[in-house]
Amino acid sequence: MVHESSVDQESRTQPLIEVNDLRMSFGDREVLRGVSFKVYAGETLGIIGPSGCGKSTILKLLCGLIEPDAGEIKMRSQEIGLVFQGSALLNSLTVRENLALGLRRRKLSRQEQDRIILEKLTLVGLREYMYAYPTQLSGGQQKRTSFARAIVNDPQIILYDEPTTGLDPVISTVIEDYMIELENRLKAASIVVTHQLSTWTRTADRIVLLHDGKIKWEGNPEEALASQDPYMKQFAHATREGPILAGGI
Amino acid sequence: MTTSARPNNKIFNPLAIAEEQFHNSCELFGQCMITLAHTIKYIMRGEIDWPETFRQCYMIGVKSWLVVGITALFTGFAMSLQISRELVLFGADTAIGGVVSLALVREIGPITAGIMVAGRVGSSVAAELTTMMITEQIDALKVMRIDPVQFLVVPRYVAAMLMMPALSVYAMALGLVAGIYIAYTAANLPVATFLDSVKQTILDRDFHVHFTKAWINATIVIIVSCAIGLHTRGGAEDVGIATTRTIVWTMTLLFVCNYIVTSLTYAPR
Repeated sequence: MVHESSVDQESRTQPLIEVNDLRMSFGDREVLRGVSFKVYAGETLGIIGPSGCGKSTILKLLCGLIEPDAGEIKMRSQEIGLVFQGSALLNSLTVRENLALGLRRRKLSRQEQDRIILEKLTLVGLREYMYAYPTQLSGGQQKRTSFARAIVNDPQIILYDEPTTGLDPVISTVIEDYMIELENRLKAASIVVTHQLSTWTRTADRIVLLHDGKIKWEGNPEEALASQDPYMKQFAHATREGPILAGGI
Repeated sequence: MTTSARPNNKIFNPLAIAEEQFHNSCELFGQCMITLAHTIKYIMRGEIDWPETFRQCYMIGVKSWLVVGITALFTGFAMSLQISRELVLFGADTAIGGVVSLALVREIGPITAGIMVAGRVGSSVAAELTTMMITEQIDALKVMRIDPVQFLVVPRYVAAMLMMPALSVYAMALGLVAGIYIAYTAANLPVATFLDSVKQTILDRDFHVHFTKAWINATIVIIVSCAIGLHTRGGAEDVGIATTRTIVWTMTLLFVCNYIVTSLTYAPR
């Protein structure tokens, strides 16, 4: 985790990600109703909220996979790494080939590709699995491969979609450690979408709580845990009492 | 974006069903045209992943060899038996070779290969691409700024364009072998007489039509299956729906286009 004090003040003047009044609907259902935030270099923003509140939709909008109905997205870097919830590795390709996909447009020699791929795989502790197929890896190893693929071009923006969902607590901690290590190495602007308490408290510098298509609360993890805001309090303490379930489960 | 048809109250409203079918057909036609245009654009630019194309040649061509062979052989047996029986009755047994080969070169060869490749390859391509859509693998390609059409469709299309004519010729050759065997055993027709009749009947134009049909069939199978695969979202149920849809559409289009080519090239003037 990169603390406020370690972030270069100059790089904080211009956000790498700037989202203004983002609106998005799927049919009649309005998923995002005017969401705005900024993320600076070396900072990790945690987007938390109940299932179906539009967290993953924000990541898809940031990556350009879908177009917003209204609002503005400013990404000040073309290099974006996205770690998918389900890893999204191509099963017909080896780990090496999966990572090489990200390097295709750079037209590197095979040796240069191998050097970069080995470096990234070493970073996530999977050096010996370079020629394995995704189906031969465990869920945690697939997730780490997905990490390595996301950072193969040393992106300035890294997006994590539920990086620890479905993993056991030990592997979740390992994944969170990798996220913190990557953050410290790359000094990228990161967004982590999650509803896992340990993930946002350990990895995020700042969090926003999304509910009903709007940001209901914003602050740092320590403030979140101590917050008396009814939304934040209910979410942080995982209780039934509060406004989050008001609209039904 | 196509998703599975959920149960609704349209069962007693045939007009609504027809309207939905028409809408889906138009949508699929548009998706196919866009996919084909993008595919041709990449081929014209020479942006073809040849190692993957050769792998697809193996998947489409070599792996279809047995099933196309067996189908062509038994279609040839049945067709030759019927033709031999009728021509012997009219005392025209020397024409058996010509009639059998005409049917094989003009119709049976390309359509047999087309149907078998549609069943074996088209369904598997649709299932594979739909699964890739559902598991966000296609999204992963887009995030890495790789066009799924260039990465997934172009190698399959080029491979099918190379292998489908080969499979059609192979189906035709096996059908001819079946014809020779039936003519010899059922009508006592010497092999030389059969082959003489073939030589006198088949023209260069028949082979032009044969290859044209093979290329059209390759285009239908790959473009329809890829377009359906790349535009389906949902869950496991939608993989099955996409596969069925691919089979229905490719088979229908194969027969329709086969007739159109035949009518344009052989219709009496």
